Amino acid sequence: MATVTPEGGTAVPALSLQEITRRFGALTAVDAVTLDIAEGEFFTIVGPSGSGKSTLVRLLAGLEVPTAGTLLLRGEDITRQPANQRPTAMVFQSLALFDHRSVGQNIEFAMKMKGVAPPARRERALELLSLLRLPRDYYDRAVTQCSGGERQRVAMARALASDPEILFFDEPLSALDYRLRKTLEVELKELHQRTGKTFIYITHSLEEAMVMSDRIAIMQDGRFVQVGTPQDIYQRPRNRFVAGFMGEVNILEIRGRGESARFAGLDLPAPEVAGAYAVLRPEALQAGDGGSVRFDADIVQRLMLGSRTQYHLRVGDLALIAEIGAGVGNLMEPGQRTRFSFDPDDIAWVAE
Amino acid sequence: MRTRPGPWLAAPTALFLLAFFAMPLLIVSWYSLMPPRTFSMLGAPTLANYAAAFSDGYEKPLLWSMLGATLTTLICALMAWPTAKILHAHAGRAASIITALIALPIFISESVRLFGFSMFLLPRGGILAGSLNAWFDIQIGSILNTRLAALLGMIYVYFPFMLFPLLLGVSLIPEDRLEAARDLGAGRWALFREIELPLAAPGLMIGALLTFVLCLGANAEAAILGGRAVTVISAAIEQRFSYAQDWPMGAALTVIVILVTAAVVWPVLRRVDLNRIIQR
Repeated sequence: MATVTPEGGTAVPALSLQEITRRFGALTAVDAVTLDIAEGEFFTIVGPSGSGKSTLVRLLAGLEVPTAGTLLLRGEDITRQPANQRPTAMVFQSLALFDHRSVGQNIEFAMKMKGVAPPARRERALELLSLLRLPRDYYDRAVTQCSGGERQRVAMARALASDPEILFFDEPLSALDYRLRKTLEVELKELHQRTGKTFIYITHSLEEAMVMSDRIAIMQDGRFVQVGTPQDIYQRPRNRFVAGFMGEVNILEIRGRGESARFAGLDLPAPEVAGAYAVLRPEALQAGDGGSVRFDADIVQRLMLGSRTQYHLRVGDLALIAEIGAGVGNLMEPGQRTRFSFDPDDIAWVAE
Repeated sequence: MRTRPGPWLAAPTALFLLAFFAMPLLIVSWYSLMPPRTFSMLGAPTLANYAAAFSDGYEKPLLWSMLGATLTTLICALMAWPTAKILHAHAGRAASIITALIALPIFISESVRLFGFSMFLLPRGGILAGSLNAWFDIQIGSILNTRLAALLGMIYVYFPFMLFPLLLGVSLIPEDRLEAARDLGAGRWALFREIELPLAAPGLMIGALLTFVLCLGANAEAAILGGRAVTVISAAIEQRFSYAQDWPMGAALTVIVILVTAAVVWPVLRRVDLNRIIQR
């Protein structure tokens, strides 16, 4: 199965999922997922807990066997190949570091399994330590003496040491505090660029996915709801679930199907889909008459978010959230009745 | 002024251990230095008993005991490993029943169990030989009153002492470490050597210690199942104290067994972090 590359040539996908299904009794955790992941791509699968994303990545790593479907690695069928024979490596959510071994021994594990001689192993381990920005003398350190961020890097070095064709990440950053997570997100993206390997990343945070990914798949109930670039997903969510997954957005339910829809006194342009929801990002709302849809709103609450200010608005029965960049206009006070507006082009129409 | 209550609360236990644990040890040690075949504790200390222990043929029962303990420990470990892995992997109702079946005999007197085992092995009219003869017309001999029977008896009696600590040890192996090792290319054997064995080692070592130490002192298996095929050290000691009325010699043999036990137990206990096991 060939896909067209941006350069116009054709290439065999790094990983090709064809109708991959995994059932546990009556539960279908992964439901006929079909997908091609290109060589060198940073692909992220996002979904809430129970969406089947962890099962999916375990299927890809060979830790689970699919009930049905085919998995091709560069065109070669690996569906039944056990994990220890697959040229892939995974960074686990728990990291699963070998606490009874040193940092160096952890990193060298895959090479030891392949029968690489100790001096060559050591050399490569030291190389990986510096790639992951860990001091060389960490080689002999006990894993248990490393901090959370350091353990994270050891886990990544260990996975990279086997020189895998594909690296899987199963929510490795979810247990870290916000600042460290942000730092490691950037480092991970850099690592991806430096190694040029195919990364497949699992997370429940769309925000995290946006930062790092070339493409994102949104998963719900074992299926992909939408697959696209971060831009696509952000601007054109396919349905209400995807829109809602992006955090705080305004989702307006449009009941009328006329020439133009009216909602809570607002004139909206005609919906592009029937029975639609209008998704309006908080930053699409602006104070003043700048947009063509204008309305007056009561400011209920003001939250300072640092780089921007969030206003909770009320227009009749309708609650809206607006976010305005810090330093844009003056701060508005709660209780104030203020004119807001937005551009109809900023609406993303989604069906249920 | 308030005094610290710690020493006072510890005092009863400390006194008890002093009177019933330390004192007998001291008495036995002292007796082992008394002249042979005396009952007085006031004789001139001598190493004659220890010299006799290694010249009068006592090394043989000691070696039998150590060999028996070592073999039993090894065989029990080999059998307990897969058992523990299976019981841990299939934890649930069936596993609980099997665990209970293995544990229950511990509550029955050891002699009763061993006599039962001996009836099973009895030639001709015994349960095994008799059944085979009656149902299938197969005649077999019997291993009763051989060293093999004594060894089987020890394995039978001490298996739970290996299994249960090992079950605890196996439960110390986190599933994700096994998956990570497999993901990094570890096959079955590498998984065992690199991950399972080191992580379950505390449980394995405790089980091995219990089995080894209990076997070293075991007497009933050799007596009931082994017949006169083998004399173990505890039988030799008992004989010195009772039949031979040579207390200093019995005491010297006892001290030697204690030293051998300590030489095995001490290095292992130093390496095992009991707190880590208990906290899990």
